[in-house]
Amino acid sequence: MLRMPKFKVLNPATVAEAVDAIQQVEGSRFIAGGTDINPNLKHRLLEPECLVALNGVEEIFGISQTEFGLRIGAMESLTNVETNTLIQQLAPGLASASRQVSGPQLRNMGTIGGNVMLDTRCKWYNQTYFWRKSLGFCLKKDGDVCHVIKGGSKCVAAASNDTAAALSTLQAELEFANAQGSTRIAIDKLWQADGIWNKKVGPHDLLVAIHLPAALLNQKGSYKKLRDRNSIDFPLLGIAARLKISDNIVDDCALCVVALQARPWPLDKASALLIGTTVGSDAFNEALKACCAIAAKQCRPMPNIPGDHAYRHAMVPVFIRRAILSCLD
Amino acid sequence: MAARDKHGPDAPWGDGFKVIGKPNRKVDALAKATGEAIYTDDISLPNMLHSKTLRSPHAHAKILSIDTSKAEALEGVYAVLVGSELPIKYGVIPWTPDENVLATDKVRFIGDEVAAVAAIDEDTAIEACELIEVEYELLETIVTAEQALVTPEPPIHDDRKKRNNISKHVELEFGDVDAQVDDADLVVENDYYFHSTTHTAIEPHCAVATFGNDGRLTLWSSTQITHYVHRALSRVLEMDPAKIRVIQPNVGGGFGGKSDPFALEFITAMLSKKSGRPVKMLWTREEVFYAHRGRHSMQMHYRTTAKSDGTITSVDAKLLIDGGAYSSFGLVTTYYSGQLLTGPYAFPNYRFDSTRVFTNRPPCGPKRGHGSVQPRFAFEVQLDEVATKLDIDPIEIRRKNFLGENTTTINGQRITSNGFLECLDAVEEASDWKSKHRKMRYGTGIGVAGSMYISGTNYPVYPNKMPQAGVQLKVDRSGLVTVFTGGNDIGQGSNSMVAYCVAEEMGINPDSIKVVAADTDLCPVDLGAYSSRVTFMVGNAAIDAARKMRNKIVEAVAEHWKVEKESVRIIDGTVYNLDNDEETLSQREAFHVTEEKFDTLGSTGSYNTPTLGGDYRGGTIGSSPAYSFTSHVAEVDIDTETGEIEVKKIWVAHDCGRALNPILVKGQIEGSTYMGAAEVSLENYEMNRFSLHAGPSLLDYRIPTTLDTAEIEALIVESIDPEGPYGAKEAGEGPLHSAIPAVANAIYDAVGIRLRELPFTPAKVLAALKEKDEVTADA
Amino acid sequence: MRVFHLKINGDTVDVAAPEHYTLLEILRYELGLTGSKQGCDKGDCGSCTVQVDGVPMLSCLVLPSTVESKAITTIEGLAVQHRSDGGEGASLLQNAFDAAGALQCGFCQPGMIMSAQALLESNATPNRDDIKQALAGNLCRCTGYTQIYTAVESAAKDGGENGCS
Ligand SMILES: Cc1cc2nc3c(=O)[nH]c(=O)nc-3n(C[C@H](O)[C@H](O)[C@H](O)COP(=O)(O)OP(=O)(O)OC[C@H]3O[C@@H](n4cnc5c(N)ncnc54)[C@H](O)[C@@H]3O)c2cc1C
Ligand code: SF4
Ligand code: FES
Ligand code: FES
Repeated sequence: MLRMPKFKVLNPATVAEAVDAIQQVEGSRFIAGGTDINPNLKHRLLEPECLVALNGVEEIFGISQTEFGLRIGAMESLTNVETNTLIQQLAPGLASASRQVSGPQLRNMGTIGGNVMLDTRCKWYNQTYFWRKSLGFCLKKDGDVCHVIKGGSKCVAAASNDTAAALSTLQAELEFANAQGSTRIAIDKLWQADGIWNKKVGPHDLLVAIHLPAALLNQKGSYKKLRDRNSIDFPLLGIAARLKISDNIVDDCALCVVALQARPWPLDKASALLIGTTVGSDAFNEALKACCAIAAKQCRPMPNIPGDHAYRHAMVPVFIRRAILSCLD
Repeated sequence: MAARDKHGPDAPWGDGFKVIGKPNRKVDALAKATGEAIYTDDISLPNMLHSKTLRSPHAHAKILSIDTSKAEALEGVYAVLVGSELPIKYGVIPWTPDENVLATDKVRFIGDEVAAVAAIDEDTAIEACELIEVEYELLETIVTAEQALVTPEPPIHDDRKKRNNISKHVELEFGDVDAQVDDADLVVENDYYFHSTTHTAIEPHCAVATFGNDGRLTLWSSTQITHYVHRALSRVLEMDPAKIRVIQPNVGGGFGGKSDPFALEFITAMLSKKSGRPVKMLWTREEVFYAHRGRHSMQMHYRTTAKSDGTITSVDAKLLIDGGAYSSFGLVTTYYSGQLLTGPYAFPNYRFDSTRVFTNRPPCGPKRGHGSVQPRFAFEVQLDEVATKLDIDPIEIRRKNFLGENTTTINGQRITSNGFLECLDAVEEASDWKSKHRKMRYGTGIGVAGSMYISGTNYPVYPNKMPQAGVQLKVDRSGLVTVFTGGNDIGQGSNSMVAYCVAEEMGINPDSIKVVAADTDLCPVDLGAYSSRVTFMVGNAAIDAARKMRNKIVEAVAEHWKVEKESVRIIDGTVYNLDNDEETLSQREAFHVTEEKFDTLGSTGSYNTPTLGGDYRGGTIGSSPAYSFTSHVAEVDIDTETGEIEVKKIWVAHDCGRALNPILVKGQIEGSTYMGAAEVSLENYEMNRFSLHAGPSLLDYRIPTTLDTAEIEALIVESIDPEGPYGAKEAGEGPLHSAIPAVANAIYDAVGIRLRELPFTPAKVLAALKEKDEVTADA
Repeated sequence: MRVFHLKINGDTVDVAAPEHYTLLEILRYELGLTGSKQGCDKGDCGSCTVQVDGVPMLSCLVLPSTVESKAITTIEGLAVQHRSDGGEGASLLQNAFDAAGALQCGFCQPGMIMSAQALLESNATPNRDDIKQALAGNLCRCTGYTQIYTAVESAAKDGGENGCS
């Protein structure tokens, strides 16, 4: 079998216990659904001595409406997010993105928190120890070269979390807890352009919940995902769109793309073009074209994940347009 | 001896079939559905050790030294094995033994096996492998087939007679091909490419070996060729084969990926010998990818000449085959790449020139439709081009060139039954071809292709005149009939097929039959599950054995009742006296009566092939006692903006001779078609620039999920072969072939692009569309 | 080593095993429940699918300590459940797989059946698309899936209101 490295597992019951447990052994990691970290452990992409399992921490479950908007506990499974009627109604783009993650069993196991905190992916990295060793490892783990960018000194492994794109269009706020207390970070502020660790929080910061602001709920939303198979596969390109339409006029628009580089990429310049246009009008159609063109210019897929990157690039405008248009269905 | 001489395709009791042709349950399906069925990795023996292999991280290197001392010193390690301990080479084809269990002097691809460790558990075995120190001297890596052709040095196999990297070259010409070019009304000539793909059975390879203190070896292995494994073990371990027992438990899929002897079978045996304990080795999915033996990539050049009425006048082919690092079945592959194309269409003149080369990548071998899927793709696409250029309906052109039944192909292969025209009729009607072809809206289209495949190879892998298949029956006083067969059931249902044949022939219920299979101590030899031979050969052998037994029962009961033998009839396990309605015997009573007369009851049956094949060197390769025929129609929908090909539906008609169980036949047809369709755009066994498999996992090697599989409608055509068991032929490989060109031809119908290089990625579709638009714009 | 307190197919079992073992390893090699299969060991194939509180999950990615308080059902448990409901032998769904010819090599099928069973429990009358969606994480290399759909559909039909066990 594909062996796990040796580790021990702590099973805290509260947030306080969890943030305490994670500090006990240097290099410990949280494990939620385990669908990302376990394959990575088996590939020796990390070798923590200790895992802190979050499935017993009740406080970080639950989907509910709050004064702020909508709270989604980090431990809610993707299946729950996808099928939850509040989310389907208030944040359709998120429901759609969740539905397109991996396959059914993995969505039953994988959590929304784990999806946000997903490790970046690269075809030179998400491989076994033997495989990586055969080509001399790489910057992200055990080595000192990058196989994607010759001579590159920065890892450009791709953020591949489908829901991150949707959460960005919803301007989600992420509630973290650590030994110092609790903090909230806007999702677009979470990321940094470093494939080795693409988040500004550390691995010991516990994601407690995701908060969606009320003002952006109950709008149109969609997620379009490029992949070879219609199930299981990670995105080769993922585009989330949110549109607010009143009286047939685009009041607000947000776009975000994943599976390009180390961080999810909000396309504010592109999406701004649509604002103020009347759906179906020539102005709208022109703006849509321009929006797709700008996005194609901004988004430069790299040969970091499987698939032809030139083709992925060619699909950017197509998927942007489809994401926007499917909000209008 | 050969059963085919003694029974025809008709129902044995003269009043229709009772079991054959009915949707009977499989003998093993409920055990599989409930999780009771035992596969190799489900076996745990007391005191068993686990083993792991150290593999080469280099694609081509000399081994200068191996130091295993640190590994041996690790606590929990019981035995370490290196190549020099088993220096005898093996290979499934006896003429080309070029594999060592573990590398002796050099490694030939990344993942090649170097050393092995047996330890208390897998974790310890892995740790020990990492402690083995190997010193390598790197050699130039031969990456592509073209490079291999022009790079004789360094030879990947330096002990071969000719010191170059050609694995096999075959050139055969029938008639005069070049002479046809001038007279032809149409010449179509193009290059085609078929990429490498792999079997991806869901069960990874596993072996468990135990060496008793009596010096006897028992090996359980997920193999589809127990007999060849048995022979190879005896050769490499230099052991009396009578002291080796090879058992195949349930196998979780093979498709040709388990039809070579593999290193783990020898390694576990030797480690068990060395440690004195049973040893298991279970490959990881990654290791299965390195074992490969999948489809060879082929660069193919075809030239077809035709008359204006569509008659083919000649076909000329040149193929370059990337064999990877070892021979495997490569000698046969090279022949098959040319020999199996000569039906279902008559070729008045035909030439092929095939070269298989060695490269530093995992070895290719026989994947479902061995050696003939690639040329079939190229030729069927070319035939479609001929049809288009001559403005003939693609189904018509296939009818027009039909080879016929009871005939001989240009390369000397005997054809008996041939239901190809019925296959074409069936798919034409079911798909509503006439109202769709060239009539669908832009972006959607429909395409057809046809094919032929062998039902077993006429000659065994090692020359001998013994039967190709043997079956033995034990008839018990309890009423149970136990059938012993060397046949390998790898999921295709051969054990069930054997039970149906015996039940039909004896007039008993399949429920009262137990099949014991693929255990070399217990079962008469069968050569294995490859080349679609099992139904044809083991089926015939089973009928032979059962008929002998039934004759005894009839004779004994007739004597018992004092009636003529003709008056005794066994129906569904009850023996009737046709002269006297009152008089019946149960199956059990009849067995008692028979045993009283004949002594302890048993019988044997066998099958061997007639003498067949062309009268020239290699003329026997590709000859088969019968051929199956297939036709596919595929309907596609192309997203012209993304280049994505959606195969909406595939209709497939397959001439299987007779469907011994229509459900099982349909399952084979559907499974084959699904697997072929997956090779069109999804699956690709790809190497990266480090000569390393680009993604050896079920995530990166993408086999279709439910959401990626077209609707498949399987149609059975029965041509009733005169020599097949009750008229049956194969159904497990033929129905893969034409799925691929049918999709290619449908793409042409949909958007007017001719794709000739697999896999058809969306990017290629877009590029071709763009090119077409530019050409149209220019014109 | 750690002692895991598990509830498997209605039985309460304590298993001592190294802490880094997955649920699949515990089932197959510690408890001899070899019905659950391993085809990739990293979430790609679905052969190891079991139900945790009725929900299909991949046991090759489950750490046993995280399912200690939950009811684990493996393929072996379906017949157990069926018998305790007064049936005999294999469950209706397992029988339907047999009758439809859906079992070729059978290696994917324990996982497939666990997914299909969960579907039928939540949706007694699934259409083709529901079935495809529910089984989209279970790879089968033999059948091309058609006979599997037939099996699930016929079990749904025969199960009617009584569910499918
Ligand atoms: C075959 C396969 C296909 C997949 N396909 C996709 C896909 O298409 N799209 C996609 O987005 N993903 C995919 N995944 C990845 C994964 O299933 C999902 O991203 C899932 O949402 C991860 O959640 P989890 O709970 O399983 O994460 P885990 O594996 O438990 O954790 C992932 C990471 O997040 C950290 N973490 C988890 N929870 C918290 C928390 N509350 N606070 C702080 N840190 C935390 C962990 O320490 C770990 O580093 C796939 C996985 C597999 C095996
Ligand atoms: S982008 Fe470069 S450094 Fe990062 S994982 Fe890929 S190869 Fe390694
Ligand atoms: S073995 Fe668990 S998903 Fe493949
Ligand atoms: S029946 Fe063999 S993999 Fe599904």
